[in-house]
Amino acid sequence: MKQKTSLPAVFLTPAMMILAVLAFVPTVYAIYISLQNRELSRPVGDFVGLANYIDLFSDRRFINAIGVSLTWEAVTVGMTLIVAVGLGILLFECAAPRMRNILALLFLMPVILPRVSAAFVWKFAFHPLYGIATYPYKAITGQPLDLLSNPATALATVALVDVWQWGLFFSVIVLKLLETLPPQPFEAARLDHALTWEIYTHIAIPMLKAPLISLAFVKMIESLRAFDLIYVMTRGGPGITTETLDMYAFSQGFIESGRISYASSMAVLMMIATSIAFTFIWKRVQ
Amino acid sequence: MRKARTLVSSIAFACLLSSTASTVALAAECTSTIKVLAQPRDGLTLLEDYKAEFEKLSGGASFEIDYLNENDRRAKTKADASTIGKYNVYYIDEANVALFASAGWVAPLLDYYPADYDYADFDPGRQKVATYDGKVWFAPITGGGDLMVYRKDLLEAAGITPPKTLDEYIAAVKKLNQPDQGIYGTALRGQRGSGANVWRWMPFFKGFGGNWFDGKTPVFAGEQAVKATETYLELFKYSAPGSQTGGWDEAVGAFTSGQVAMLIESTPLVGMAIDPKSSKVAGKVGYLPPPAPLTGGGYGHGLAIGAKANKDEASKACAGLFIAWATSKENENRRLEANQFSELNRTSIMTSKKFAELYGPDLGQALADTGKVTAVNFWQNPQWPDLGDRWGIILEELITGTRTDIKDGLDELDGFAKELVARSQ
Repeated sequence: MKQKTSLPAVFLTPAMMILAVLAFVPTVYAIYISLQNRELSRPVGDFVGLANYIDLFSDRRFINAIGVSLTWEAVTVGMTLIVAVGLGILLFECAAPRMRNILALLFLMPVILPRVSAAFVWKFAFHPLYGIATYPYKAITGQPLDLLSNPATALATVALVDVWQWGLFFSVIVLKLLETLPPQPFEAARLDHALTWEIYTHIAIPMLKAPLISLAFVKMIESLRAFDLIYVMTRGGPGITTETLDMYAFSQGFIESGRISYASSMAVLMMIATSIAFTFIWKRVQ
Repeated sequence: MRKARTLVSSIAFACLLSSTASTVALAAECTSTIKVLAQPRDGLTLLEDYKAEFEKLSGGASFEIDYLNENDRRAKTKADASTIGKYNVYYIDEANVALFASAGWVAPLLDYYPADYDYADFDPGRQKVATYDGKVWFAPITGGGDLMVYRKDLLEAAGITPPKTLDEYIAAVKKLNQPDQGIYGTALRGQRGSGANVWRWMPFFKGFGGNWFDGKTPVFAGEQAVKATETYLELFKYSAPGSQTGGWDEAVGAFTSGQVAMLIESTPLVGMAIDPKSSKVAGKVGYLPPPAPLTGGGYGHGLAIGAKANKDEASKACAGLFIAWATSKENENRRLEANQFSELNRTSIMTSKKFAELYGPDLGQALADTGKVTAVNFWQNPQWPDLGDRWGIILEELITGTRTDIKDGLDELDGFAKELVARSQ
C-alpha cells in the first residue's frame, strides 16, 4: 500500500519559491510598468493602457529589430547545426581516437571563452587596418576589408563568431553521440555498398534525430541571448543593421532614452512571441 | 588687557574645538569606502597610488573605482542613479549633466566642496559646462575643446601649408589621401552616439550657423544641418577604414599609428600624439585651432556627488571631500609630472612653468587660440542625450549608406524632437 509522503513538497517548495521570486516577480513587474509611461528620470508614471504596444508597431527600429532577430536566429541556429554535424562526422570518420580527443579539447575552448572576451578578440581580428583576419585580403588586394562597417556583411560576420563558439562545441557533442551509436546498422549498410554520405543521411542522422533537436532548442534559446556579442562587436550598427530586439529594448531603456516602460513593452512582447513560437515548434517536433 | 587675552584665547580655543569637532564628525562619518563609477582615465588610475593619503585626510575612508568605457559608463550611471544608487560618486559629462541635475541624481557640488580646494581655479570653459541651472554639478577631470592635429612631415612633403579655413582643410585632406601608401586624409567618428559621431558633426552644424531649438520649437532641420551633413559625408570618403563605425579610439588609434594625415579632434589627442609611448608619429605632429568657420566642441567630464547613495549630509560631505582631493592642485601636479596632458584642468597648472617646459610654448598658444572658438555645440537640456543619440543612429546610417536622403533623416529627427518636447510637458 502506498503511503502518502510530504517529501516531494518539502523538496519542491524552496525551489518553486526561488523560481517564483526570480522569474514571476520581474515578469509581472515588467508587464505592470509596460502599461505606464515611466522613464528613468521620471520614476512616477501614469497608466497609458496599451499605448506603448501600439507605438511599437509604428516604430521603424522595432520593425527592423524583429527582422534582424529572426535572421540572427535562423542563421546562427542553422549554421551551428550544419557546422556541428559536418565537423562531428568528419572527426568520427577521419580522426584516430587520440586525435579526436585532442581536437575535441581544442573545439571546446571557444565556448569556454566569455562572450565579451570572444567579441573583443574577434573585433580586433576583423579590424580593417590591424586585424589578423582581414590581413590576407589586404595583403593580396592592397585594399582594406571592413566587414563590420559594411551593412551587407556585419551581421554575417558577428554570426560567424557565434558559430565559431557554438558550432565547434556542438561538433564535439555530435562526435560523442556518434561514438555511442551501435555499429551494426553501419556495418550492414557498408555490406550493402552504401556510400559514406548515404550512411550518415539515412542511418546516423535519423538515429540522432532526438538529441539533434534538443541541441537545436538549446541553440535557439542561446541565440536569443546574443546581446553581449553583438553589443561589443557592432553596437547594433552600421546604422541599425545588427540591432536585435533585446539590444533595441536595452537601448531604449538605458542607453538613449531611459524609457523603461517602452522598453518593458518590447520585453513583454518578446516573451509572449518566444513562448508561443517555442511551444508551437516543440509540439510540431513531438 | 587680561580680559582681551582671555577673549582671544577663548576664541582660539573655540576655533580649535570646532575644527577638531568637525574633523571628528567627518572622521566619524567618512570612514567607509567611497564607491566611484567612472570611465578609464590615467589620472584616476594614478589616484589609486595615493589611497593612503586620502585615508589619512578623511579619517579612514578609502575609495574603489569601477571603470566602464564611455557609452557603457553613460548607460550604467543612468541606470544606477535612477534605481539602486550604489555609487557615491559618478563620472558625468557635459552631455548628461542637465539630465542628472534635473532628475536629482546628483547633489550640487559646491555645497560640499571644501573652499580650500579652490574650485574657481578650474579652466572657465570647463566650469561653464559643469554648470546647469545656475549650479555647479561636477569637478572637471578632463575637458577642453578641439584642435586640428596634423602630420607636419606629410604636409611639408605635399607642399601644403596648415589649413586655416574649412575649404583649405577639405582640399588638403583630399590631396593627402593616399590609401595605396597606407595614408588616409583624415579620421572621423562614425559610431552612433551624442558623444561620438554627433560630437564631431556638431562643429560643422554650429559653424554653418545651425541651432537646435528656438524655445521649445526644433529648428535644426534646415539648410545648415544639410550642408553640415553633406560636408561630413564628403570628408568620410577620405576617412581611415574602421572609422565608419568607430569612435574616438578608432580615430585616435589610426592617427597615432601613422595612418592619418590630419584630423580635428578633442584636445587630449595632442597629449597622446606627442607622447612616444603612445604614438608612432611623436615629433612629427603640429596643432592649430579648427579651421574657420568650425567651432570647437567644448566639453568637460568630471566627478559628481551621487544623491541616492549619499543619504545624509555627512556622506555627501565625504563624497565632496573625495572629489575635491581627487581634483586638487596637488593631484593635478602629479598628473602633470606623469605627463598626463589630457587630465589637466586647472588654470594654475596650465600656466605653470613646468607645463611650458614639458609641452613648449606652441601648445599653450594653440590651446589659448582654440579657446576663442570653443563653444557649447549641443542642446543644453536633460533630453539632449535622447535627441543626440537618435541623430547619431541616423547619421551612422547615412555614413554607412543604409540611408541616403539627408533631408528625410533630418525630418525624422524633427518629428522625434517634437515628440520629445511633448513628452516632457
